Amino acid sequence: MDIQTRTVGTKALLTCTGRMDAVSAPRFESACAELLGQGCTTHVADLTGLEYISSAGLRSILAAGKRLKAAGGSLSFCGLSGMVDEVFRVSGFLKLFTIHPSADAALEG
Amino acid sequence: MRRMAIATRLSLLILACVTAIVVLVAGYAFESSRRTMVDMARENGALLAQSTAGRISAQLQATAKVTETVAATLEDADMRESDLRDLTRRILFSNPGIFGSAIAFEPHAFQAGRRFFAPFSFRQDSHVTSTTLGGADYNYFAMDWYQLAKELNQPIWTEPYFDEGGGRALMVTYSAPFARVTPRGLQLTGVVTADVNLDWLQRMIASIRVSDNGHVFLLSRYGAYIAHPDAGLIMNETIFTHAEELHHPSLRDLGTEMVSGRSGFIEFADFPGVGAAYVSFRPLPDEHWSLGVVLPKDELLAGVNRLTRVMAGIGLAGFAVLAGVVLLVSGSITRPLRILTSAAAGIAGGDLEQPMPFIAPGDEVGDLAASFERMRESLKKHIANLTETTAAKERIESELRIAHDIQMGILPKTFPPFPDRTELDVFASILPAREVGGDLYDFFFVDEHRFCFLVGDVSGKGVPAAFFMAVTKTLIKAVAEREPDPGRILARVNDELAADNDSCMFVTLFLAILDTRTGRLGYGNAGHPSPLLLRAGLPPERIAGMEEPMAGAMPDIDYSTGTLDLLPGDALFLSTDGVSEAMNPDLELYSDDRLLETVAGQARAGARDLVLAVSASVTAWAGDAEQSDDITMLAVRYLGPGPGRPSPS
Repeated sequence: MDIQTRTVGTKALLTCTGRMDAVSAPRFESACAELLGQGCTTHVADLTGLEYISSAGLRSILAAGKRLKAAGGSLSFCGLSGMVDEVFRVSGFLKLFTIHPSADAALEG
Repeated sequence: MRRMAIATRLSLLILACVTAIVVLVAGYAFESSRRTMVDMARENGALLAQSTAGRISAQLQATAKVTETVAATLEDADMRESDLRDLTRRILFSNPGIFGSAIAFEPHAFQAGRRFFAPFSFRQDSHVTSTTLGGADYNYFAMDWYQLAKELNQPIWTEPYFDEGGGRALMVTYSAPFARVTPRGLQLTGVVTADVNLDWLQRMIASIRVSDNGHVFLLSRYGAYIAHPDAGLIMNETIFTHAEELHHPSLRDLGTEMVSGRSGFIEFADFPGVGAAYVSFRPLPDEHWSLGVVLPKDELLAGVNRLTRVMAGIGLAGFAVLAGVVLLVSGSITRPLRILTSAAAGIAGGDLEQPMPFIAPGDEVGDLAASFERMRESLKKHIANLTETTAAKERIESELRIAHDIQMGILPKTFPPFPDRTELDVFASILPAREVGGDLYDFFFVDEHRFCFLVGDVSGKGVPAAFFMAVTKTLIKAVAEREPDPGRILARVNDELAADNDSCMFVTLFLAILDTRTGRLGYGNAGHPSPLLLRAGLPPERIAGMEEPMAGAMPDIDYSTGTLDLLPGDALFLSTDGVSEAMNPDLELYSDDRLLETVAGQARAGARDLVLAVSASVTAWAGDAEQSDDITMLAVRYLGPGPGRPSPS
């Protein structure tokens, strides 16, 4: 999985591409932690390019979300499609996290 | 092919070089000594020839002088017969080297009417005898000694001859003509002769030592042997007849050189009677003789050969000593290497206990040995560490296995679980992955009629997942016995799990409670794949998902409860994603579609057959591919309200 980050003020966009599995998921967590260390509290993950997400990926997302919430921030998503969208739906993530229609909308909101 | 040992190669190389040097030095010494010896031989041969020729000439010159003096005396003296005889006797008395002397007159020159007149004195035994030569049986005018001197009108030496008449010895005669003034002018009157016995010459020449086997020989004007150690040749052979007889062209060439009055030094490969030899020769001009000195090569070069032999011997001995020393030294250089090699072979064979043999430090081999020792030490340490680590790992793995066994042990495994209940047909199976996972299933009656069953999947793997699974199962059972509503059960369980769950582990759960009297099914779903519903006569379908979050992730989540009415014969097939995500060796998923198809084929089968059919299908799909996740299935078929549990009496 490849993660590219872009910050706008206290907002950060994480563009994830590839597969988020047990091997790569911790990188999502550490990317969020790093951005938080830089003062970004509002994180948006763009999952348009994500092909696969395992339960380890979900755990990482939960952990990152919890941490951001504790720091007074938030984690939200955009670009859900295909298998990722299905997993988010089945696992109830749609009820736990805010989903934006697009990255631009997410950063403006 | 294995190469020669270093020691052997080194030795061979050094010894080959040394051999080459020794051969070169010995060869040079031999050659230069030989040249020196040959030069010396040339010089000595020439000197010997010169001195010998000088001695011979001195002797013969004295005779010639006397003869010429007498001839001069006779030119104008008018002597009587007795005076002439006395004169010849006096010549002998005063010249011991002269054997005989004659004064021979021309016919009628001494006295008219006397055709022959030649008074002659010669030595016989120890005194001198006189006689007169000439007569019918001895026509001296025809003799060489007379005729040559007369015709050439000058003193001459005759060819050596074997004197039959007088001395019976090898003789040579000096003849000097004398003339007198007559009315017809100066007329040759006669010839004075002096015979020299060549015995002394032969003795003298024989007495000359030319090394052991060498000799001196003397040739006459025409090549006849005058003096030679082989007496048979003297006056019997010339050098030319001798060469002809022996088929020896180079001997003939030597003869030609000598007879023509030249001096020189010639090497012979095979000189008659001597073998390889050098011949030094020079002429005796007055007599037109030639003297040869034969120097045998063997003897000449004996010193050189001996020297060379001694050098070769010393060289050979030195070679042997050197060979020994070189072998010893190269052996001692490579011995530590050999020791090291066998020690290293020990290490290569796995024996790290044997310390490296001590090799004195300070050179490359010592450094190598020290490096080997360090290598052995660190290998040993490393292997000890590795052994320890492996042991620890094995212990952990064994504990993990035990944990896994315990985990599996808490799942109900007895089928049928409620032999006396006719309302239900239940079967479950779990195919654990190699790594400890967190799948769970459970079923139990919460009261007389209500049957609770569930399937769950804990995120992650390993011991944390196993713990979380065990906690979840225990928690559910505890909660379900006090709480009738599936949604609220999930909410309670979620709250309990989420409390202090810093690691954000979660579990997906599908939990249902079936009232066996009515067939009413209440269910809640915390992020788990929905089960398949198999209704009699209809294709299997998934129950609509609740899309509610997994349990344990966040507290305070409300879970809703769905309801379904099961008719007798209807069944539910619950599974974890280990089923639909099982992969074949080409990494293709088993998929929901295949699952639906397989289940559809078992629409009427019992719970056990249904589960086993899906299990077999998934296993066949996976083939040799390693199973990465637990595969858990639970089938519950509602058979209709039964007579109820027999009331306890």
